[in-house]
Amino acid sequence: MTDTPPDGDSPDLDSCVRIGSIVSSNSHLDYVVEVYKERDCDRPPELHEREFGQPVFIKKTVNGTEHAVIGVIYDTQLVDPDQGRTGPRLAQDDQAQFTPGYIEERTTLAGVALLGTAEIAEDGTIQEPTHQMPRWTLEVEDTVFHCPDQVTVSFHTVDEQIQLAYMDRLLDIAGDLGSEVIVALIDRLRGVLPEDDPNHRVLDVVEQNVQWQAREQRGVV
Amino acid sequence: MADRSNVVGTVAGPGDDPNEFVFVTPSDKSIKTGEFITYTISVEGEPRSVFARVTNRELIRGLPEGFLADPEVGPETVAATLGVPTDDTELYRLTATVIGYYDTNMTTFANPRQLPDPGTPLSIAPHQQLETVLPNLGCETDSTDVTTLDGVAHVGWLLNRPAEATNLHIPIEEFASTHLAILASTGSGKSYTASVLIEEMMRPSSRASLLVFDPHGEYDTLAEMQGEEAFQGEDGYEPEIEYYDPERLRVRISELEIGDVMAILDNPSNRMQERLSTAWQAMQRQESRTWGIDELIGEMERIYGDDDASVGALEWRLRRSIERNDLFHPEENVPLDEIVDPGQCTVLQMDTLDRRDQQLITTVLLRRMYRERLDDVRDRDSDIEHPIFALFEEGHRFAPASGESPSLGIMRTITSEGRKFGFGLGIISQRPSKIDQDVLSQCGTQISMQIKNPNDQDAIKNSVEAAGEDVLRELPGLTPGQAVVSGDAMNTPALIQVRQRRTPHGAGSRPVIEEWREAYDERQREPTQSESADFGEGDSTGVQSLD
Repeated sequence: MTDTPPDGDSPDLDSCVRIGSIVSSNSHLDYVVEVYKERDCDRPPELHEREFGQPVFIKKTVNGTEHAVIGVIYDTQLVDPDQGRTGPRLAQDDQAQFTPGYIEERTTLAGVALLGTAEIAEDGTIQEPTHQMPRWTLEVEDTVFHCPDQVTVSFHTVDEQIQLAYMDRLLDIAGDLGSEVIVALIDRLRGVLPEDDPNHRVLDVVEQNVQWQAREQRGVV
Repeated sequence: MADRSNVVGTVAGPGDDPNEFVFVTPSDKSIKTGEFITYTISVEGEPRSVFARVTNRELIRGLPEGFLADPEVGPETVAATLGVPTDDTELYRLTATVIGYYDTNMTTFANPRQLPDPGTPLSIAPHQQLETVLPNLGCETDSTDVTTLDGVAHVGWLLNRPAEATNLHIPIEEFASTHLAILASTGSGKSYTASVLIEEMMRPSSRASLLVFDPHGEYDTLAEMQGEEAFQGEDGYEPEIEYYDPERLRVRISELEIGDVMAILDNPSNRMQERLSTAWQAMQRQESRTWGIDELIGEMERIYGDDDASVGALEWRLRRSIERNDLFHPEENVPLDEIVDPGQCTVLQMDTLDRRDQQLITTVLLRRMYRERLDDVRDRDSDIEHPIFALFEEGHRFAPASGESPSLGIMRTITSEGRKFGFGLGIISQRPSKIDQDVLSQCGTQISMQIKNPNDQDAIKNSVEAAGEDVLRELPGLTPGQAVVSGDAMNTPALIQVRQRRTPHGAGSRPVIEEWREAYDERQREPTQSESADFGEGDSTGVQSLD
């Protein structure tokens, strides 16, 4: 779509890196995204742009208003159709690689859990973020964008206070890796907030709680 | 739909004990432990208000403790961050014990033997209803204006309620006839509470005949009742406060019993005891009641001869212990008709007497008064023709558990039988464990204040029937001026705040620091000896302190 490589921290939603497109869903809040590769777009996401805990968004126009449905990568999965084929290979000493066709079909899938929604303003920023459950369904082939950190912070700021009100739903969807997603999100927020921001201490308490609960559930303590 | 505006909670189900149930309240309906709540059930077709006391309160739903990890971050902030609502989140689970409904025929509580059904609405018991049913007033309805009743003592108000909201009036007749115990550690207000009771008993509606045995002189401010409007009756009644200082306290020697005399003599030998008791009995048989030591020794010499060694030794002991003690006198006695009279409160100030003398004068006075009351009840001539109530400050001195007091015997007799003869005792003590258990257990009404000593708590548990576990549990946590009233005067124990006295209080602690400083300044003002050196210039030689 765009020719210039976008600046990762720009709050402009129109110039964000595309991460992939939706291929299926496990539930209303839990989608599977196929990550773009070299052939799929001009500028496929780099590894750190589609890492675990990366916030993403999907644009949706509802009733004439453009909304961003915000989600987070909570899981990834590798798919290799060649796996399990143990028959003879055509590769030989003089031709190290001979695996026609299949190589392109290896894909990386990312699980995206929806966190909430926000309106997209005309200047490309988001406003009125809400952590309520998004009511709209996403479509197959909807493009999933990389969410810049500034947008992540504005999505998490309600009445000048950091909020993660979706936490219960996210823990539920993310399952075993729930606490890690939340810790990753908190780390990301912490990195963007100014150092003397009072929200740091609140985030500390939340992080502590989540980690402690996870350790309890996993039988560490 | 029924009006639920005053409903504070809803019954969840039965509790652990047969009389216990559990109910749930939201956080805005703040119900304290010890609060009285009420619900309605149908007994024999009639709706009855059943009372219950809240005994425990625990949080069943609230913010997790993990939210409190950082003292500088409030739990509400953490909750807001996670989108957890903080309004009305807390739910409390309270346990209550059923007391019963007020049976107007029996004028006490009757247990319905039926716990409320789950879902039963509960409300806070109304003030007037509690005022009627908590004390043993014998009201015929469960909601009476108790301030109009005669012979009640307003001692304070329920601790869980606002000041003077639910006032407790206990029936004077009940505790004055079945005895009273005020038990509290020092400084928690026992003589204050006693003074409140004295004030109430001296009001025109009661006009009691009171006698206060005061070993410390703490009751010297009661006289201010005289002239106070609150104590004046329409018919011109005014309480009379009479102080008996130690100089006026006398024991006529012939009033002593042989056991009393033995107790004050120094180790009399068996032979001496035998001689003394023979002579004492002979003297008691005489017509004259005004004999002294001389006559007694004369009698012994008459029986055993002039040169009996034991009589000689006895004479020395008797003269030292009895004759040289101003308390004993061959003729003078404390006139009973002067110290007891309706509408009169006599304070026997014994602060300069030693403990043995305090016990002896108490013994003799109690014995004489008990005899007079006996005569009155049996229609014989009597000096005391009305019931009396005697209050003992430092009660463990007069009825010690160790048994080392001549007064113990008569105290036991009065507490076990005085009820029939209109003779009530009030024991005030800070050491319940040092009071004779027979005496303490006969005190039908108890006002217990802060007591931390475990021995003393045990003493209360062992001897006070009405002191249930819930009463004992409260004792260490009470602060001065707070008390648990239990026993015959109450239908169920209640925690109260003792009301303000109308007369000033005289027994507070001394302002030690202030007195030290004053004494020091005083000393500084006096010239010391080194300053008094005379250099022969002036005519002053300085003042030499002779202290």
